[in-house]
Formats: sequence, C-alpha cells, structure tokens
Amino acid sequence: MTSPAHVEASRSGRVAPRGPEPHQGFLRRYIFSTDHKIIGIQYIFTGLVMAIVGASLAALIRLQLGWPEHQWVLLSRLLPRGLPGGVMTPEFYLAVVTMHGTIMVFFFISYVLVSGFGNYLVPLQVGAKDMAFPVLNMLSYWVALASALTMLASFFVEGGAAAAGWTAYPPLSAVPAAVPGSQMGQTIWLLSMALFIASFTMGGLNIVATVFSVRAPGLSMMRLPLTVWSYFIAAIVGLLAFPPLTAAAVMLLLDRHFGTSFFLPAGLVVANKALPNTGGSPLLWQHLFWFLGHPEVYVLILPALGVACDILPAFTRKPVFGYRSSVWCLVAVACLSMIVWGHHMFVSGMSPFSGEYFSLVTLAITVPMTMFGVNMLASLWGAKLQLHTPALFALGVIALFGSGGLGGLFLGNATADMQLHDTYFVVGHFHMMIGGVTMLATFGALYFWFPKMFGRRMSEAAGKLHFWLTFAPFFTIFFMQHFLGLEGAPRRYYAFTAYDYLQRTRGQNLVISVAALVLIGGQLLFLANFIWSLFRGRAATENPWGATTLEWTVASPPPHGNFETIPLVRRWAYEYGIQTPQGDFAPQTWAPPQAG
Amino acid sequence: MNLALLPSAGAATDAPPRLDPRRAALVRQQQVRLGLWMFLATVAMLFAAFASAYLVRRSGSDWHPLALPRLVWVNTLVLAASSSALEAAHRAGRARRWTGARAAMIAAVALGLGFLAGQLAAWRLMTVRGASLAASPQSSFFYVLTGAHALHLVTALAVLAWTAAAAGSARRDPHGWSAQMSVCRTFWHFLGGVWLFVLALLLLS
Repeated sequence: MTSPAHVEASRSGRVAPRGPEPHQGFLRRYIFSTDHKIIGIQYIFTGLVMAIVGASLAALIRLQLGWPEHQWVLLSRLLPRGLPGGVMTPEFYLAVVTMHGTIMVFFFISYVLVSGFGNYLVPLQVGAKDMAFPVLNMLSYWVALASALTMLASFFVEGGAAAAGWTAYPPLSAVPAAVPGSQMGQTIWLLSMALFIASFTMGGLNIVATVFSVRAPGLSMMRLPLTVWSYFIAAIVGLLAFPPLTAAAVMLLLDRHFGTSFFLPAGLVVANKALPNTGGSPLLWQHLFWFLGHPEVYVLILPALGVACDILPAFTRKPVFGYRSSVWCLVAVACLSMIVWGHHMFVSGMSPFSGEYFSLVTLAITVPMTMFGVNMLASLWGAKLQLHTPALFALGVIALFGSGGLGGLFLGNATADMQLHDTYFVVGHFHMMIGGVTMLATFGALYFWFPKMFGRRMSEAAGKLHFWLTFAPFFTIFFMQHFLGLEGAPRRYYAFTAYDYLQRTRGQNLVISVAALVLIGGQLLFLANFIWSLFRGRAATENPWGATTLEWTVASPPPHGNFETIPLVRRWAYEYGIQTPQGDFAPQTWAPPQAG
Repeated sequence: MNLALLPSAGAATDAPPRLDPRRAALVRQQQVRLGLWMFLATVAMLFAAFASAYLVRRSGSDWHPLALPRLVWVNTLVLAASSSALEAAHRAGRARRWTGARAAMIAAVALGLGFLAGQLAAWRLMTVRGASLAASPQSSFFYVLTGAHALHLVTALAVLAWTAAAAGSARRDPHGWSAQMSVCRTFWHFLGGVWLFVLALLLLS
C-alpha cells in the first residue's frame, strides 16, 4: 500500500494533522479537539464513568441474588421506585440486568479499550501525526457521548430503562405492555444503539484508513505491533457486522411505533390483549442481532489480546512467539466470527443441519484462538518475568482466556448447549471472555500507557493490590457461575428462591455476591490510584518500561502532532534481548552505527 | 484537572516542514477513496441485512404480492439520467470545458432531486391505494427499503451539490476537482446500483 509518492510525502511531514495547533484556546484544545490523543482520552474518561454506572448496577444485581429477602432501607431512599420498601421489584431487576450488560459491553469496554486506546495508540504506533480523518474522529467521539447520555437518560423516562435484556429480543422488546421497560426506555435504547453504531463506523473507518495510508516509511504490515493488527482487524469486523443491527433497530422501531409486523407474529396476546400483528418473525431479530452480536465479541476481545501481546514483551524482555502465525490467527478468527452467529440460537428450533453447521464453524474458531493462546504462553517460555502491574494484568488475560475459553467448547456444541443454554454457565463463560479478558486487558493498558498519556507513573504497590483484588474475586464469581449453570440455574431470574431445586444454591449465590462486592470495592482503589497519579504521580520518562514501539520514542505526553519528523522504521516491534545503547532492546527506529 | 498532564499542553515544537501540495493532495485523495469504499461497504451490509430480512419475511403466510406504482419506473429513468449527466460532467471536466461541466453537474443534482420527489410521489400513491406502512409486510418493506435508499441519496446529493459549486473554481485546481468528481461518481453510481437491487427485490413478490 505504501506507494513511493506516499513515502516521500509522509517523510516530509506533509500528512499533517488538520487539528488545531497547540496555541489555540482551551475549548479547541481539550474539548472540541481533533487530536487523536485527546479524543482517545475523552473516550477513556467517558468509558470509565460509564463503568462506574455499570458496576453499581452489578452491585444491585448481586444484592438481590445474595440476600433475596433483605430490606435495603438506605437504597429504598435512593431508588424509591426500584426498591420500594427496600426490596427490589422484578421489573426493576430486569431493567438493571439489561442496562448492566448494555453499558458494560457497549459503553465501557467498547469506549475504553476499543475506541479509547484504539484512538490513542494506532496513530502513535504507526508513526503518524494523527488519524487519517481527524474531524470525523472528533465527530465520532461526540456522537458516542450523545449515545451514552441517551442511554443513561432512559433511566429517567416513564417505565424506566429498557428491560428486555441486552439482546432486546422481541416480542418482549417490541410490545410496550410486555414490561415497563418496553415503553419509552426501549425506544431510547434503540436510538442510543443506532448512535453507537454510527459513531463506531466513523471511528472504525478512521482506524482502517490510518493503518493503510499513513504508516511511517519502513513500517510494513508485517512490522506492525500486534496491538495495531488487532485494532485494524477489529475495525474491519465492526464495520461489516454492525450495520445489520441498524437495519434491525429501524424495523423494531417501526414495529413498536407504527404498527408494522416485522418481528411480531400473529395471535400474540400480551396483558390480556390480542395484538393485531400478523406473520412477523421474532427469530429474524435474533439472526440480525447475533450477526452483530457475535462479531462484536471479537471486536472487543481481539484488541484485548493484541494489547496483552504487546505489554508482555516489555516484562519478559524477549520477543513474542510466533508473530506471523498470531497475525494470521487474528485474520482467521475475524473471518470465522462472521459466520457463527447461529450458535446463540441452538434452542430456537433451527434445523439440526443448521445446528451442526454452526457447531462445526464455532469449534473451528477454537483452532486459531488456541494457536494464539499457545503463542502467548510460549512467549513466556524462558523469560525472566518482571511482575510489574501491567504484566500481572496481561498474565491475567492469558489465564482467563484459557479457562474461560474452555467453556466455549461446551457452548459451541449444539448438544451440550441445549442443556446449558440461558443458564449461569453462559453467564460465567461470557463474563470470563468479553467481561474478564477485556477488562484485565483494559486495566493492563491503563497501567502500561498511563505514563505515556499523562507523563506520570501510577503507584505500583496500589496497582498490584488492585490486580489481586480484581483477579481473585473475578475468577471466583464467574468460575462458580459455571457450576450454578450445571445445576440448572437459569440466568436473568429475579427470585431463584421461588424454585425448590435452586434453594440449595443460596450459599453459592451468597459467596458470589460477597466476591462481587470485594471486586467492586477493589476498583475504588484503582480510581483513587488513577486520580491521585494524574496530579501527584512520579514524573515519567520517555520510555519507562524499556519498550520498542514508536510511541516510546517521543516525549511523555507526546506533543501535538506526535513526531517532529516522521520516523523511519527499521525493524519489527519485538526486538528485545539485544544490546543497544538504550539497553537490552532496540526501538523500532534504531539503526546500528555504520561501520568505519 | 492539571492541564500540564494532557498531551497537547507541551510546547509547540512541530512547525511543519515545507509542504509539497501536489503530493499531499495525492495521499489525501487515496485516503478519501479508501474511506469512501469502506463507508460503501457498510451501506452494502445494511442493505444486505434488509434484503435477508425481506427474503425471510417473504416466506410468511401473510405475504401478498403488491403491485408497485408505475411511477417507480419513471423514477428509475430519472436516476439513470442523473448518472449520465454526472458522467457528462466528468467528461467535460477532463476536456477542460468548465461551463459544460458545471451545467451537467447542476443537471445531475436536479435529476437527483427529481428522483427523490418522484419517490415521495410514489409513497403518496401507495398510501392512497391503501398500501400504507403497516398495511402488509410487503408494503412495510417498500417504505423501509426506499426510505433507507433515499436517506443515503440525500447525503450523496449534498456531496454532488458541493462539487457542482466547486466547478467555478475548478479552472484553478483541475486535479482537485477531478478527485472530487471521482468521489461523486463512485458514491452516486453505487447508490444507483443499490436502487436497482432494491427494485429487483421489490419486484420479486
């Protein structure tokens, strides 16, 4: 892709950022900025605020399941409609579960890890002064913020927030009388998702165009860090997989407000009232939703794996193992991710032949994924591990990816899934994968690149404690939920105590709830460390971890426009274990002194 | 917030080196073309989703064939004429006949607007005939597909109108204008193709 014209062009620094120059006012510099670093940080801050909301909702869920009959007097004052008399209403519980999932998937992990770090890292790591389309990038953030605010607003409308699950299956999501959350809350949910997709399209387009068109000279595709590869592939997957949900959202809105019958079947009776709809297909929604939903999982998890792969070498002081095969694994996973969505629908009455097909392709995904995981493990082989905070989180990614991934083997198999579908086994599995792998990678990235972003170090001691307060309870909660699922505990149930066979899971639920509260409490330590370090952290040098990629060759924080002159890249991103004047590594731009 | 912590707070050290505008424009054009094609890929996926929904819904028991108003054929011709006008503008630009290029661009935009007006009239005709949005699944799809297509067309028309307006200064920057024309042609002909696809789908019933 790098034409000679382009090489010369970018060497002379011509592909200059179109953003405001540093002498411009506060508003253009920090609020309406087109600088990819500011936009990345805006995404990260927005995502972290949304994570606080999502975690509070998780706390509410666990209070209900851990102590089912307890009266929470203080909470009833805070949320008089949700917990009248201190006990949660079933409708509120459903809204809380729905919004917890929606916010964590789309507004925490997507914003912080994918859009936040994607924006911050990709231009720096490809040696560009900014994204290919800086104004579009700014627009992407503002639409994303509007999407998040819209979603939050749904808590305050008549009937409360959406309550049909983060998957919004009709008829529950299509008929306002079905559940209070399906009144205005569901409409707002759909509009917010449409905004999210519009924003993601703008961001994804930018990442692909940036990687293709403004790579520094010498930076061939096969010299890119795995971080850039993972964002690049995730962006392409997102661009292709998200539009169908826009189509589905349009049709669901029409069903909800204009009396059409895309998803609503004939003969439906809701709240003792027969609906006039004819012939619609609720399964059609499931197909369209999961055509987005499953690739979305990979849009989140690929960057998590890429980031972990790039954090680790700085602490193993050796190259990653099997770089080329890892890249091709990412490509293979991306392709396969587009054709496996049906494994979410094994119990929908699909033909056994379709089920067999979806089982086979799903199990086929485990081949490249396992190769990738083995490459990560082999990267540790013979390393003198330096267990700094980012390294701990990156190792946590491998641990959760391995153990959580095993559950996928059961769920990808139609026969086993029939039994496990919609039980806590599924909840445990996906929390370990798109919850845990991505969350640990997000924290790893925050600790690793914090010095670069803000020019200060975070506290190591607090960071390590935060790791253990995150990893241990997280693993406890979701490992145990697998067993709850094996015992037949269904997900999304508000009062499991109403069923005899689930009475004996009370103890397990209590332990899970206590672990969840420890987990959430542990995050306060992170917040305190983050905010304290922003203002009072030790000053960071240009390259505190002794890492090789291009962002570590510029000041911390990098100046506007990133590079004074566009760097000339001379090697791949994993040149560790060789002696140079910088230490036991060679930055990607380093050239050995000419002999003679 | 301590502003010194934030990235751009550093001293302005990046005074850009001397620029070569011709090469800069070339890279920019490559980027815009790449961006456009990726955007069109998302549009293709959107219509693929509508089409698959259409095919699934078509197998329902309540599916009744629906006669499209003849007007849609006239609209199709108008859209084809608009595409031809765009091509004429492109050829005129290459021959440096700027007055002709501008006139052809204005014709393309006007015909595009004519298509939209025609589509609106087709909607009214359908409603008058009783084929409203919620009347039958086929009519629901008629409005959704034509509506989604029209919304994309409005965006493309804005790009066309902007290029038509730039025709005045094209004499000074013929390369810039021809790059803009290339975006217009890809975008507009692509949406023309999408319209033929939508029309074929609606005729399936």
